[in-house]
Amino acid sequence: MYLAEAETALAPGAEAPPERAPLPTDRWADFPHSRLSHHGEACCEIGRRWVTAMDFAQLNGSDLASGPRWLRERYKWGPSPWPMHWCEAVERKTIDCGAHAALAHEAFAARGMTSFPAQLVQSYSREATEQWRGKWSAEDVSCHWLDEEHIYHEATALLLGEDEIRIWDASAACWVNPRQEGGYGAVVAVRILADGSYGGGDGLRWGERRIKPGVWVQL
Amino acid sequence: MKIYVSGLYCGGNPQPGVGIVRSLREGYPDAQIVGVEYSTRVSGIHWEGLDELWLQRPWDELDLALYGNQVKAALDAGGLWISGSDLEAMWLGTLFPQGHPNLLAPPPAALKGIAKPAVEAHRGLPVSVPTFVSTDLPDWDLHAFCRQHNWRMWLKGPYYDAARVGSWDVFMAARAALTKVWSTDTLFLQAHVSGYEESVMFTAYQGELLSCVSMRKRDITPEGKTWAGDISEVDPEFEHPLRRIVRELNWTGGGEVEMVRDAAGKLWLLEVNPRFPAWVHGATIAGFNLPALLVQGATGARARHAEARASEFTRVVLEVPVRKDVPLPPLPEPFAGAVGHSMKHPSGLTSLAKRLHKAEEELLAIGGEPQAEEGGGKPDIPDVYLADIGAMDLAAMQTPQFLYFGQTAERLFRRAADKARRLSTNEVQVASGYSIKTNPDSRLIRLALDHGFYAEAISLLEVAAALKVGFRPDQVILNGPGKWWPEGMMPKERIHAVFCDSVADLERCVAAIDAGEMSSKHVGIRIRTPNVTSRFGIPLDSPETFAKLVDAVGRLPADSAFGVHFHMASSNIGVAGWWHLFESMMKWCRAIESLTGRTVELLDMGGGWFPDDWHADDESKFAKAVETVKAMLPGVRQIVSEPGKAMAQPSMALAMRILEIQEHEEGYVEAVVDASIAELPMHIFQPHRILRQCGETGALQPLGRGKTHLMGRLCMEHDIVASNVSLPEGTRAGDMLIFCDAGGYDRSMSYVFGRG
Repeated sequence: MYLAEAETALAPGAEAPPERAPLPTDRWADFPHSRLSHHGEACCEIGRRWVTAMDFAQLNGSDLASGPRWLRERYKWGPSPWPMHWCEAVERKTIDCGAHAALAHEAFAARGMTSFPAQLVQSYSREATEQWRGKWSAEDVSCHWLDEEHIYHEATALLLGEDEIRIWDASAACWVNPRQEGGYGAVVAVRILADGSYGGGDGLRWGERRIKPGVWVQL
Repeated sequence: MKIYVSGLYCGGNPQPGVGIVRSLREGYPDAQIVGVEYSTRVSGIHWEGLDELWLQRPWDELDLALYGNQVKAALDAGGLWISGSDLEAMWLGTLFPQGHPNLLAPPPAALKGIAKPAVEAHRGLPVSVPTFVSTDLPDWDLHAFCRQHNWRMWLKGPYYDAARVGSWDVFMAARAALTKVWSTDTLFLQAHVSGYEESVMFTAYQGELLSCVSMRKRDITPEGKTWAGDISEVDPEFEHPLRRIVRELNWTGGGEVEMVRDAAGKLWLLEVNPRFPAWVHGATIAGFNLPALLVQGATGARARHAEARASEFTRVVLEVPVRKDVPLPPLPEPFAGAVGHSMKHPSGLTSLAKRLHKAEEELLAIGGEPQAEEGGGKPDIPDVYLADIGAMDLAAMQTPQFLYFGQTAERLFRRAADKARRLSTNEVQVASGYSIKTNPDSRLIRLALDHGFYAEAISLLEVAAALKVGFRPDQVILNGPGKWWPEGMMPKERIHAVFCDSVADLERCVAAIDAGEMSSKHVGIRIRTPNVTSRFGIPLDSPETFAKLVDAVGRLPADSAFGVHFHMASSNIGVAGWWHLFESMMKWCRAIESLTGRTVELLDMGGGWFPDDWHADDESKFAKAVETVKAMLPGVRQIVSEPGKAMAQPSMALAMRILEIQEHEEGYVEAVVDASIAELPMHIFQPHRILRQCGETGALQPLGRGKTHLMGRLCMEHDIVASNVSLPEGTRAGDMLIFCDAGGYDRSMSYVFGRG
């Protein structure tokens, strides 16, 4: 799902420090977010330019803070091999959440908006993760994003105003609901990879919550 | 305690009655709840939570005076009444103008305060009302409103129903349908707001807000109705002004403020309903039992505490037993040859609307200031049109006949030339191109030449027409997919620009230039609009096609300057939509420059501008566009803009005579004219301002809105050249009608039909 070398950052079977109970994020505690590579040639630049120009065209005059839903219309969510270059990503029919998030991040940036990579851990069920494990394995793609009842997921946090964020899940083409009460599909932890001090040190405001940048926040 | 609850309809667009009953049952387990309905087709009458059913005849049959007395007796006997229907609540308001302590519905003055679309009472709430206009305005103005808002529009009635309107023909059909169903031609057009829908439900008794709760739609039906939602407390910034408004309106009963939150987080008010919403029980599930709190507020009897079981709710479909005493009615026979059973509005609400409209016109009037003048719907006719017509001898004129408005045309071309001159700078020249296809009349081509336009041609026959009038080849721009037709007519001299419509066209063009068969100062590409469906230009749909375009541009002759052309009719996609497209195209051009190394020197932009948008629009938009081009594409030396029909459309009118006037029931009139859709092929895309010349005085009178249809002379069912107009008093067969604004595609695409 992510850069192959990132798998070294996995902490399989990571044990929680003795002073606390295990957290769903332990496995991905130091996991980096996905980045598309660039060949430094026209092939990748055409792809990158195409995404940003097409994104603006698809806005149809809507607010710049609108989610780039067209990305999900064009690229189905599913297994994709890493590392991935721009020219490869844009020509695929199916990409995973890391690639989706990278494209959304680029689109927001080209609109002049500030966005940050967002890493999420969501709760599902063993049945769901087994399904995904089978699908990813059949494509010979790493399943390191799957735990037993939790998954690692990537999205894009869009900064609005001084310190408010909305989290765009480009793979689902929707904004992640900040009012979470657990359960199937719920986000149980989030990490926003932003620099700087927001909210007077309290962090970024996501719904009613404050999210400190750069650290996993359990919800 | 006896509580009457109405609005039990449970179809795809349900009423709140069953939800109210369920909530009341939780708050008052021992209350006697009576369901009130007006049709046995309403499935909610079978809901098991009802203790009793008070079944009335449908509204179109009901003796309202008798029924009113029965309702009054029920209330006087101590019964409480919670209405689940807007129209019933309005009728009850007229029945009890001073209110009744047991009637848990808003008084007439409160209903007036929430009349759509202005919703006067909303002031103070952190919401804005989406722009709207009354359909009392002339069609000409309504068309302009739709263009200004990109044809993202809703046509709404004052009570229920809304139709999405994306084009003029859809608007006309929807207007006819809503007018017929709801017995009023007072409708309104409102701009669409994209976003997520949310609502605030509230309840009050005699002006005191008892409770309110917020709901965000989390799942919707195909009609956009709530299927699931989440519930939360109302933000104090909303609650405080709501409390004040409720007090000012002396509100009693349930209510709902329906809104949309746009991408920027701004709230837009859709409407305020004088009743609980259909999702009322969803809030009860979340611990906000507003119907019970209303009864508690009215009676003082304490309701059972509502336990919050979840903060989210959803719906399911349930089968329930049919009451033995109210068996299902037979399914109506489908209309012969038709599809479906036509069972909308089973309780006859449309009939109630008609009766209320007659009895209480003011109550049901659209909220807001009147927008049309007395005698409404008459368009303003420009003086220059009247001057042109005044110079003609209409009496001797054979009809139908196109009239050339010489003064009008001269003024339009001069204005466009002046505008181009003003917008030009030392670095960038702004010029206009006359699109010959919009009207190839030689008088208009001559005006284009005289005012410094380029001739924009889509075929070699059009090139020949321009050269014949006096254009030089270096004043010609060649465009479109058929530019090589007919063979053998390509000028040998250098033309100003040629734009390739496809990669194949580009290759042919390059080959022709290499072979010395054509020469052009600028050789460029037309790019296809990626977000608006179009068959023209080189597509940008995918990275692969974009790569092909980049590759193809690399094959263009290096000794020609490079240009880019794009075109989309502003009148079709709307003015703001066109300006977004312009900005988008600048980004594509910059990407093409960066990837090909070719500098864009000529930018050719079309078009399809509605005359009013082009000529009356604030020039600062065009000036800003020139600045944008300079900033994003600093190599551009010339911008050619195609005003298209903005030049041609006002320059001609169609004169016709009335052949026959047929008067029908209820004031409807059909007048047959000697023109037809063969001369007015654009009638479904745009309105025409119509003048009638008085047979006696010769005076010209604009036609307003009315019940007359102008039927063309053809034996074709769809040959109706105008609908819903009014003929002035005294109009008779032989009188002349003049359809203005017919000089664009009406003229150039008119065809010979039915002339033997």
